[in-house]
Amino acid sequence: MSTDTARRPRRARTQWGDLAVRWSFMLPTIVLLIAVLAYPIWYTIEISFSSFDMMTFGAGEWIGWENYAYVIEDYRFWESLWVTLVYLVFALPIQIVLGFGIAYLINAEWGGRGLLRALFIIPMVVAPVVAGGIWRMLLDPIWGVVNWAFGLVGLGPFDWFGDPNLAMATIIIIDTWRWTPFIVLIATAALLALPRDVFEAAKIDGAGRWATLWSVALPLLAPIIAATFVIRWLGAVKMFDIVLASTLGGPGKATSVINLFIYEEAFRSLNFAESSAMAMIVLVLTMLLTGVFLIGSRKLEKMY
Amino acid sequence: MTSIDTSTPRRRRRSLSHGARIAGAIFISVLFLFPVFWMVLTSFKEQADIFTTPPKLFFDATVRTYTEYFTRADIPQRLLNTVIVATGAGILSIVVGTLSGYALARIRLRGAATFGVLILMSRGVPPIALAVPMFLVARNMGLTDKHITLILAYCTFLIPYVMWLMRSFFVSLPKELEESAMIDGCSRFGAFFKIIVPISMPGILSTLIFSIILAWEELLFALVLTSRDAVTIPVAIAGIAGDTETGANWAALTAVGTITVIPVVVFALLVQKWLIQGLADGATKG
Repeated sequence: MSTDTARRPRRARTQWGDLAVRWSFMLPTIVLLIAVLAYPIWYTIEISFSSFDMMTFGAGEWIGWENYAYVIEDYRFWESLWVTLVYLVFALPIQIVLGFGIAYLINAEWGGRGLLRALFIIPMVVAPVVAGGIWRMLLDPIWGVVNWAFGLVGLGPFDWFGDPNLAMATIIIIDTWRWTPFIVLIATAALLALPRDVFEAAKIDGAGRWATLWSVALPLLAPIIAATFVIRWLGAVKMFDIVLASTLGGPGKATSVINLFIYEEAFRSLNFAESSAMAMIVLVLTMLLTGVFLIGSRKLEKMY
Repeated sequence: MTSIDTSTPRRRRRSLSHGARIAGAIFISVLFLFPVFWMVLTSFKEQADIFTTPPKLFFDATVRTYTEYFTRADIPQRLLNTVIVATGAGILSIVVGTLSGYALARIRLRGAATFGVLILMSRGVPPIALAVPMFLVARNMGLTDKHITLILAYCTFLIPYVMWLMRSFFVSLPKELEESAMIDGCSRFGAFFKIIVPISMPGILSTLIFSIILAWEELLFALVLTSRDAVTIPVAIAGIAGDTETGANWAALTAVGTITVIPVVVFALLVQKWLIQGLADGATKG
């Protein structure tokens, strides 16, 4: 951006041909995303304010806020939002704390460090739907290897999919398994980039472990933790695959996260207008919260 | 607590905690790898070896599940669909996204930055808000169950991803590269294709691989936009995992799962250096 002013005199002889060449770099992206991203969002908005016409299979009559009013009065929608909130509130902090903790362990200097870091890539690239499926097998109440292992030490058997609270824990465990490695990889790089002399100084000043962690390491890491949180948040609000492959939202609606709920409303119950309204509410909520988080992480960056 | 900590001899404490850290790291790695290990193991079991208490670690390995499922028509077809859709979406996005990433990094364009921010914001759009209208439009246009539909749907998340990754890559290149080429008479396109692209090949290729992996694993759009001919492997797996009628078909689940995961793991390990770098950059600059 600073080069703008330096180049300003040249703008006087801007040629249209050159301008076309410049824009042609940007144009394919803009055209494609208008077609596959902007237009569908517009269409969702349109349907959300219309009745759904089953004959044309598209937006029918304009009915204003009716769909929204219907959705807001639907307790299942609120329940599903609550389920999503519970999942987010537990999963995100657990994954971030665990991710940075594991990264600290992994960064211990020894010959196998590179290998361990490479191995942590593996869970990260297991397709979420596969992750859900194999955990369903591992956590099977009768034949699952996890309950068997707990049985060895006299615990359980746990009904991982039958008990509503435990089912939520199950979802969080699977999600944590799938996503913590991602945070570990970011965190290992972040920890290695920490300036060593600051820690030496803290040590010389007689700071203990916790003091060093709280008042030296955390402030230095705050910006990257915040950035990791935002990235992970953007992924977690899209939670769908793992639930579909493991609990299917059950038992009852105990793990029916918002994306699964809207999906079922749209494609099983064929309530396209109502589900469009829900999708728009979720979109606005997500955008608002993302904005808040981004501003927060910027502030954090400035503070330290 | 602080005073006790510092009073212990420094060297001994360090070596002790050092050993504990390594042991902890190994233990946790084993824990994290176990599900994948168990999946691969189960895929080589006979049905009778799968449902046992205690679970069997040693057994006569068989590839029967593999031969059974991969001689059936649907699984190879779905694998092929996934390959077509993932590489198609990956290549389209990398071409389009590299161009716009370069534009955002290097070309002064009035208004382009606004588009850039809008595209970045699109990461907050829940895919379900796109899946519903896409399904309706595709259905009315007769485009459901076609590879191209899925490829275009995947562009919604791949193009923004590629664009921002490549932008930060191009920003890190020295400006003199294309400036000197353009002084030597290269056109803007010439400078981009002859100088910038070859030099960025490692970055472009690894971004391509990440994109293919993301498309390879996608479930929601595939579930909504395909029904028979263009069904992908994640949809097939969701079907096997969610099949409550025949009960838990773990042999099929693990065999198809293993085949799905292995190519991705190989590719990811190939570009692991880039992967880690890209993640770190994404976290600090994105």
